[in-house]
Amino acid sequence: MRLFYATLCALVLTGCAAPKGMYEWGGYDAMLYGSYKDPTTVAANMQKLELHIQKLEQGKQKVPPGLYADLGTMYLQAGDKQKAKANFMKEREAWPESTGLMDALINNGTVPKASEVKS
Amino acid sequence: MRALLFAMAVILTGCATKQLEKPDLTAFNAAKPRSILVVPAANRSLDVDAPNYLLTTLTVPLAEKGYYVFPVHTAKTVLEQEGFFDGDQVQKQSPEMLAQLFGADAVLFVTINRWDAQYAVLATTVTVDFDYRLVYKDGTEIWKANKKMQYSPQQQNTGNPVANLIAAALTAALERAKPNYMPLAQMANVQVLMGEPTAIPNGPYRTVN
Repeated sequence: MRLFYATLCALVLTGCAAPKGMYEWGGYDAMLYGSYKDPTTVAANMQKLELHIQKLEQGKQKVPPGLYADLGTMYLQAGDKQKAKANFMKEREAWPESTGLMDALINNGTVPKASEVKS
Repeated sequence: MRALLFAMAVILTGCATKQLEKPDLTAFNAAKPRSILVVPAANRSLDVDAPNYLLTTLTVPLAEKGYYVFPVHTAKTVLEQEGFFDGDQVQKQSPEMLAQLFGADAVLFVTINRWDAQYAVLATTVTVDFDYRLVYKDGTEIWKANKKMQYSPQQQNTGNPVANLIAAALTAALERAKPNYMPLAQMANVQVLMGEPTAIPNGPYRTVN
């Protein structure tokens, strides 16, 4: 009985704590912020993001939404289309919701013009 | 045994947040979005960098709530290619068009009402204030909220009145040179999206409680 209460208390207390994170972000938000604040840090931030993604892949952990794609866009902006495309493909594979946008980025290096989209 | 039950009751009460009125989530629950597009914010503050900085703070809480969040930097870049260079322009576009352009289920629009630091001689108050609006791809508004957060650096009490004054003036000077809005913006987003009574329902990827 005592064990039961102890367990229940533990559960209740755990429930109180802030929700557990599902993903390892590796400072993705801070890297984006740093890149906007000081554009000379973009290359260093890309490298950090690349290393974080490698670590997650090696540990068979899910790469959070947007990390591959934003790294891909940074590669595109740095002129490396190959690495950009590889990252867009990984985003599409990890997150099917991104398929439309990733297809457009992979095929055209851009997305359809707003004027071409029927609303 | 009774003491234990009482203790449990206290613990449970401690867990509950204040029972404020919950927003109507009928439309949200009917729409069941899986993916959210965050577009650059409209800016009513005087800080031109605020929309870019805010953009970096929204992905984490939305994704942790269980949604696919479109890559914010990619989305911003794509919108710039479309000729939309600031959030005010983007926010004038129809949510239906934006959702279709990216293949998103819902679009999050944020307006920055305040992003400023008020300087007094001895202390500085940093304030952020945001309006949030989540719109489903068919144009239906499914959730809205406002969040304001303020922060004044705690003054250190050294026990010496003159030293206290110097410390306060120093803090104010440091804040003036470089107020840090990011923790406040992050806290505002986490509280409004994950905390009651304004929290959005969990999305399809939310597997832990």
